[in-house]
Amino acid sequence: MRVVILCSSPYSETGCAVAARMAQLGHIPVGALTLPPWDRSTLLRKIGQWGLRDSYKYAVAKLGPNKITNRTQIRNPYLEPFLRHEEGMFRSLQNVARRYGFPVVTCRNQNSQRAVAQMRQWSPDLAIFTGGNILRDEMLKIPRLGVLNSHLALLPEIRGMSSPEWSLLCGVPLGITIHRMDSGIDTGPIVLRRKFVAAYECASLVDLRNRMIAEGIELIGEAVKGLDLGSVTAAPQAKLENDSAFFVMHDRLKALAARSLLKSRLNPVAETCDG
Amino acid sequence: MTTRTLRALNETAGLLRGPQRIIPLIAKLASDELRTTFAARHLYSYTSTTVQTANALQSLIDWILRAQRGDGGIAAYYSFLSGYSASYPEVTGYIIPTLYDFAQATGNPAATHAAERATQWLLTVQMSSGAFAGGLHGTSQGQPSIFNTGQILQGLVRAHIESRSAQIMERVVAAGDWLVTVQQPDGAWSGPAAYQGSAHTYYSMVSWALAQLAAESHEPRHAAAANKNIDWVLKHAKPSGWIDGINLREHPLYLHFIAYVIQGILECGILLQREDAIATAAKSAWVLLRKFETKKRLLGTYQPEFKAGSKFTCLTGNAQMSCVWLRLFEVTGDLRYLNAALKMNEMLKQLIALKGRREVVGGVAGSYPIWGAYQPMRLISWGGKFLADALLLEQRLTRQVEIDCDTKSKNSEADSEFKPEASQCAS
Repeated sequence: MRVVILCSSPYSETGCAVAARMAQLGHIPVGALTLPPWDRSTLLRKIGQWGLRDSYKYAVAKLGPNKITNRTQIRNPYLEPFLRHEEGMFRSLQNVARRYGFPVVTCRNQNSQRAVAQMRQWSPDLAIFTGGNILRDEMLKIPRLGVLNSHLALLPEIRGMSSPEWSLLCGVPLGITIHRMDSGIDTGPIVLRRKFVAAYECASLVDLRNRMIAEGIELIGEAVKGLDLGSVTAAPQAKLENDSAFFVMHDRLKALAARSLLKSRLNPVAETCDG
Repeated sequence: MTTRTLRALNETAGLLRGPQRIIPLIAKLASDELRTTFAARHLYSYTSTTVQTANALQSLIDWILRAQRGDGGIAAYYSFLSGYSASYPEVTGYIIPTLYDFAQATGNPAATHAAERATQWLLTVQMSSGAFAGGLHGTSQGQPSIFNTGQILQGLVRAHIESRSAQIMERVVAAGDWLVTVQQPDGAWSGPAAYQGSAHTYYSMVSWALAQLAAESHEPRHAAAANKNIDWVLKHAKPSGWIDGINLREHPLYLHFIAYVIQGILECGILLQREDAIATAAKSAWVLLRKFETKKRLLGTYQPEFKAGSKFTCLTGNAQMSCVWLRLFEVTGDLRYLNAALKMNEMLKQLIALKGRREVVGGVAGSYPIWGAYQPMRLISWGGKFLADALLLEQRLTRQVEIDCDTKSKNSEADSEFKPEASQCAS
């Protein structure tokens, strides 16, 4: 299967992990399309939003290559199985691309004409979105089987941002949904959906997200395999009575979500998949 | 030359009378210019607390207390050009509940005292018909105003609740009865005592005051008048969530008025137990919530059907929407309303001056930037009132939600309620 990876930055650990996982499963990407790690508009936006000091911290923590001296250390430890190779860890998409031999193209906007033309040239069966712009129809329609996204909540109940935190606060079981992206936000047909049962093991919201991201990558692997074999199809999302769009959560509510998570640690509930 | 231009020129000439205002004016202009240039639209998205709510609240109330004039009335605004305005009966009235709420939340006796002074002053300016005149004190030549009477009624009802004074009750009923008398058969308020002589849906705020009065007076005519007006207002609701009929000539549709319509409907819905009113308000409020969350701001004005209008920010309208979202959270339990309100409040708190001249500290501008179209170059007392209301609600509701979070495990409850609706799941 011809797979393309869409990334928000060449240093995105999740992007690298998905690319590596696809290769490990025998679907070596035909290419990766990434946003630059740093550009003027991002810089100005972050300075406007956070001020100089916090923007610098963000740049160091998120956008630059990982400067951790210990070569085995990564930001999300649960991605280690995907990122580890004989000589250490994949630190960038270029590392993964060199090892498996696929091109990495950097563009300022994943909807730009250049990006669309590149995508058409690769002519993929499937694209996997790990971050970047909200994709327009023109881009979404190029891969034969669509663009897959791993959403860190059960759809259609929790769409949008801060989804694990909203799941905790709204009392919706934690879960991961692999869906085919459409022009709406998290409204596309569902390929796979699974409850996340290890919440009671998570020490914090960051830990929860990290684990869910790793499980999401495994689930993407299953989805790709299923789509390749034709054993999985995408089903339209059920229509809900109320709008299920959720937005970036305020820190005070995040603190409550963290308390809910702590409770689940104290009272682990044996959960199974609802399928 | 229009009256508005003359008024603007007159206000500008105020700088000649008070040159001490020039430096604060330049400082405010420069600070807003800097913010709008460098922070751009991303100024509006706050998810962390940088200004403590209690501090901001204290500053807002201190500003209102300083704006209280010698007669006991509260000034409509502090203009960077002409200084404080005369006492304004309308805002003096509906600031009274805010002062009492603040006093109860903090135990501050100065706020209670200010509310009592304001009440006494309002009783002296009430007309023999029970109505109150529109405009700043001493400027309206005794023309009664429906909207202003309704807004003042809110404050006097609260003053009665706090004092249980028979004298206040008598005056409150007189005001309410006058409103019932001048109501049109279709439920609207129009005629000479209505602004520009026409009916407006934002008079839902008057209905809210009548509904509050009904709860105290137990007179069915007060509740009936409120219900009748809300019936009329709800007829203007569109499928998009937009509510028509603000109906102001020579004014754009400021967010302030749009929020008035929603707030009045919602509060009436709650008091009169009308699900239809709550649902209509929620639909409209949700449209604005989505706009705020996705665009990171609300515009100062909107065209009908929520189409884009002016780009400045109407701070009062923002604070009102925060109040609406918080009340909707209280009614529905939907945390997304609380989340949006918390972020809105963070943004608004950032825009209060916490240092500088006494007249400026704690004041809420009509517009951001200060030269925006709504009440330009002014710090307005009703802006402070609505933001104080929003912060008081935030404090109360976040405390409640934290207690709820501690006392019950929502996760385990919801597990049994959760019914997966999507057909496919990995197994």
